[in-house]
Amino acid sequence: MNDDQQKTASQANVDAVLEDLEGEIESGAACGPAEPRRRAPGILRLRELNVLAAAALLFVALAWLARPLFASPENLLLVARQISILAIIATGMTFLFIAREIDLSVGSTYGFLAVTLAFLITKWFFNPWLAVLITVLLGMVIGLVNGLVITQFGIPSFIVTLGMLSILRGAALLLTGGWPILVKLPPGNSFMEITAGRAWGVIPMQVFWMIGIMLIAGFVLSKTRFGSHVYATGGNEESAILTGIATKRVKIVSFMITSALCGVAAALLVGQVHSASPLTGTGFELDIIAAVVIGGTPIFGGAGSILGTLLGAAILGMITNGLVLLGVSAFFEPVAKGLIIILAILVDTLIRRRPA
Amino acid sequence: MEERTTKTGMDTMESPPAKPPFIELKGICKAFGHVQALQGVDFEVCPGEVIGLVGDNGAGKSTLIKIISGAYRPDAGVIHVDGHPTTFHSPHDAMVAGIATVYQNLALVDQRDVAANIFLGRELVRGVLLDRRRMLAESAHVLEELRSDIPSVETQVGLLSGGQRQAVAIARAVHQGAARLVIMDEPVAALGIEESRKVLRLIKRLKDQGRAVIVISHNLEHVFSVADRIVVLRRGRLVGVRRKAGTDAADVVRLIVGAEHL
Repeated sequence: MNDDQQKTASQANVDAVLEDLEGEIESGAACGPAEPRRRAPGILRLRELNVLAAAALLFVALAWLARPLFASPENLLLVARQISILAIIATGMTFLFIAREIDLSVGSTYGFLAVTLAFLITKWFFNPWLAVLITVLLGMVIGLVNGLVITQFGIPSFIVTLGMLSILRGAALLLTGGWPILVKLPPGNSFMEITAGRAWGVIPMQVFWMIGIMLIAGFVLSKTRFGSHVYATGGNEESAILTGIATKRVKIVSFMITSALCGVAAALLVGQVHSASPLTGTGFELDIIAAVVIGGTPIFGGAGSILGTLLGAAILGMITNGLVLLGVSAFFEPVAKGLIIILAILVDTLIRRRPA
Repeated sequence: MEERTTKTGMDTMESPPAKPPFIELKGICKAFGHVQALQGVDFEVCPGEVIGLVGDNGAGKSTLIKIISGAYRPDAGVIHVDGHPTTFHSPHDAMVAGIATVYQNLALVDQRDVAANIFLGRELVRGVLLDRRRMLAESAHVLEELRSDIPSVETQVGLLSGGQRQAVAIARAVHQGAARLVIMDEPVAALGIEESRKVLRLIKRLKDQGRAVIVISHNLEHVFSVADRIVVLRRGRLVGVRRKAGTDAADVVRLIVGAEHL
């Protein structure tokens, strides 16, 4: 009797739970009568807004100080072209920063791949496009090596990529004997046109490359499973591993993306200047890191965005351009950049310290 | 004396469980350097059963559940799932086998929002796109089931209270539809009385759904309120398995600390 009662009681309980479960399945399939409660969240978006405000402020200030040259369409297109290579490589670096890694070898990788590309075209007479393909694939291999050494042996990326920085710079010098390689292609060649021409005779092609690559990267980061895993890897690697995320693979792929984008950047450079110096990209890693950091991607991983990096690159580009227009000594430029970087980190730290 | 009786097995379970066990461990050993964390542990968990796993600090509880959940691999011993010998190479393997774990540190990513955390590692996609709408809707629904007071599934987890964070971690484990065993490491340690009660209710609910639950807790009152069987570890050895009906807190405490100390 007692037993029976218990049975019915537990049966009722099970029924209730089953009902709940059915409700869950239904709402899952139909996307829910229970609309999720939303609230505008987000330090992430707030952070982007800060960067956007800073960029807008800088723009207005320079437009006023260096009027009318700075805000002219020609000058702005020039700035856009000037930042495109920086922004493309910084896009890869954003993946790495979000995954809480860093690649110090990007400047050397970019330089090494530029001379490799020039070498392939001029010395081995490769079709330029095939040469670009090989260059980008070689970039992927470099990223793969970085990523494998870092993840498989547990050596900090800072150290491994510092080594790679030195190796690739030396390789570029060895390959060229220290001399720049000139790349002569017949005028109107499709490679030159598509990497460095102007669409409708106005908009530099580099800008399209930059925007296209950043759109794809932003899409991957925010809308795909891989993107989520990049954020999780950098946010809390232990948690990510516990939930079954292959964090090592995520990191390796991020390194490969970064180095492959160095290859794309190298192609844009060779297309534009028709030559490749073995010293290309020396010290460039600092500008790239600056763009990412100014763009609001924290060095602690787990957050950040491609939009932020674009804004960060734009801020750097406007400073360089604006100082020239204002007739400020070129020697002051690194000082200004350094100040901006420290300021960006300072703002970020202050925001972080403020209670939520 | 107590030690000896447990070793002969006389003192362990009186009757074999009715249903065939979901998971069975035999002779599990695990060492970290010179520290023998587990030595020849065997026990099994049946569907719809709540196991209270107790023991002093360093008794090997966490190591044991990390082995069951695939985070560690045992040095020796076998794991049977549904009677088949199984090796978990990763937590993912265990997850596929129907084992979900709520870790003591909760394994949350603070910078991400509630929905992203609930679906961490098994995001819903449509084609290559994340199905964000469905993840938001399902997350909200699961949390409602838990009657949690999380304001929005788009809130960053780092901004939540300890209890809310616990709810997110539990929601994640529960929401793994195929989860047949949910492991909880100190699920109520950081919670207030009311929230603890909610979690204990939730454990009973999981049981009613036919899922097995392993709960690690230092709080014997909680263990007695939910567990069907209580498994006691001491210094890496399994020193007793008791049905709740056949034991009391004093008995369990005696097993935890070792009779010779009383």
